[in-house]
Amino acid sequence: MQVWLAPKYLMWLWQGFGVTLGLALCAAIAATLAGFGLAMCRHARLRALRHVARGYVVAFRNTPLLVQLLFWYFGVATLLPDALMQWLNAPHRVQLAWFSLHWPSFEFVAGWLGLTCYTAAFIAQEFEAGLRGVREGQHHAAAALGLTPRQAFRYVVLPQAVRISLPPLFGQYMNLVKNSSLTMAIGLAELSYAARQVETETFQTFAAFGVATVLYIAAVALIEAVSHVVAHRRDPALARR
Amino acid sequence: MEWSLFVNNLPYLLVGAFPEGPLGGAALTLVLAVTSALASALLGVAGGIALAMAGRITRVPLLLVIGFFRAIPVLMLIFWTFFLLPVVFHVNVPGLAAVVCALSLIGGAYLAHSVHAGILAVGAGQWQAGLSLGLTRMQTLRHVLLPQAIRIMTPSFVNQWVSLVKDTSLAYIVGVGELSFVATQVNNRLMVYPVQIFLFVGFVYLVMCTALDRIATYWLTRTARSTPARVRAAAQPVAGE
Repeated sequence: MQVWLAPKYLMWLWQGFGVTLGLALCAAIAATLAGFGLAMCRHARLRALRHVARGYVVAFRNTPLLVQLLFWYFGVATLLPDALMQWLNAPHRVQLAWFSLHWPSFEFVAGWLGLTCYTAAFIAQEFEAGLRGVREGQHHAAAALGLTPRQAFRYVVLPQAVRISLPPLFGQYMNLVKNSSLTMAIGLAELSYAARQVETETFQTFAAFGVATVLYIAAVALIEAVSHVVAHRRDPALARR
Repeated sequence: MEWSLFVNNLPYLLVGAFPEGPLGGAALTLVLAVTSALASALLGVAGGIALAMAGRITRVPLLLVIGFFRAIPVLMLIFWTFFLLPVVFHVNVPGLAAVVCALSLIGGAYLAHSVHAGILAVGAGQWQAGLSLGLTRMQTLRHVLLPQAIRIMTPSFVNQWVSLVKDTSLAYIVGVGELSFVATQVNNRLMVYPVQIFLFVGFVYLVMCTALDRIATYWLTRTARSTPARVRAAAQPVAGE
């Protein structure tokens, strides 16, 4: 019996890892923007908007990601018009100057949407905590300097809030990488899916899951390292150490 | 939508084929969640105490093990327990046991850090007070530190249990007939109402998670409420740390 995986199977796992990273990156960018918007909505003047944002966070935090993914994948497909679904399922490519960009599969789009909506609820909470962490005196100080509320928010409150919420934000990005493994349930060929496929084909359970596990740990360690660097860059007190 | 179709499938979604066959659906989700919640609490308290009592050298391997469980996706660990345990021990591991095992290990790893942080938050003064009363280290921990630490740890325990309820949906991947799994079964059988089915299932999870949140918070802070106000006031500066 062969102890190690054939190069072909290692390539499958490597490609799966690429899909995992790409999905996590796309979802992280969108979820950060959406989470920031949600946190803003929770401080909006309009009461209805505040309630909507609150309800969104409660609903998306308290339901499993798997059910949300199944909902986006199976449910939304029936709600969208047929023509749009056919367009989404057919391959497309965009010609840019030097390279052509493939439009991702519907599985990828559904997975991205599900991960984004789920993570946005958590990121909104982190931003919210960051905003609450800025002392009341800072608001008063900004007002006393003659800044308008908008300026005070932009130049005084926001930078401090971002600094407070950065460490938990990176924690959410790690969760995002780990949660992206659930998209295998809707048939997206990411790392867990590839590991399962390699296992089925080669019966080398230990090697297949071992490689996948190491790759996940590497991704999480990478985010941890980035978070460390960013924290030290932004915080002069830490940078001096 | 045809309500009769939905009503006919409702018992299957809630209890599976229970009176005639094995328990399934939402009831099985509850059983899974309660079992792994208790196991993860035990593991977490044991791990947290071990972290608090360990010397420098024993702490390193302990932190590595805990770090490993925190870094890999729940899905990956379910694969490990489901596919590898039978290979290693030559026993047939049922999917249910594999999922409970994986969920308790991950929950325990997260809770170990909360318990450790809770014990640290109570403060060194309490350690010294207990030891100077002639209690052993174990007695001090049991009778002086843990009762106070429980109050500080309540939110992280409740959070972890809520995410545990959500994670039971991953049992779907290894074919355990819990709520998400029967939902996809019903969806595949009916074919036409995916939106309604997954919205309903999401709602059931939402109710379970919010109810758990309320009940667990109430139950864990019950001792804090029943102690006389004077005692509570004396404990306040410590608990507020």
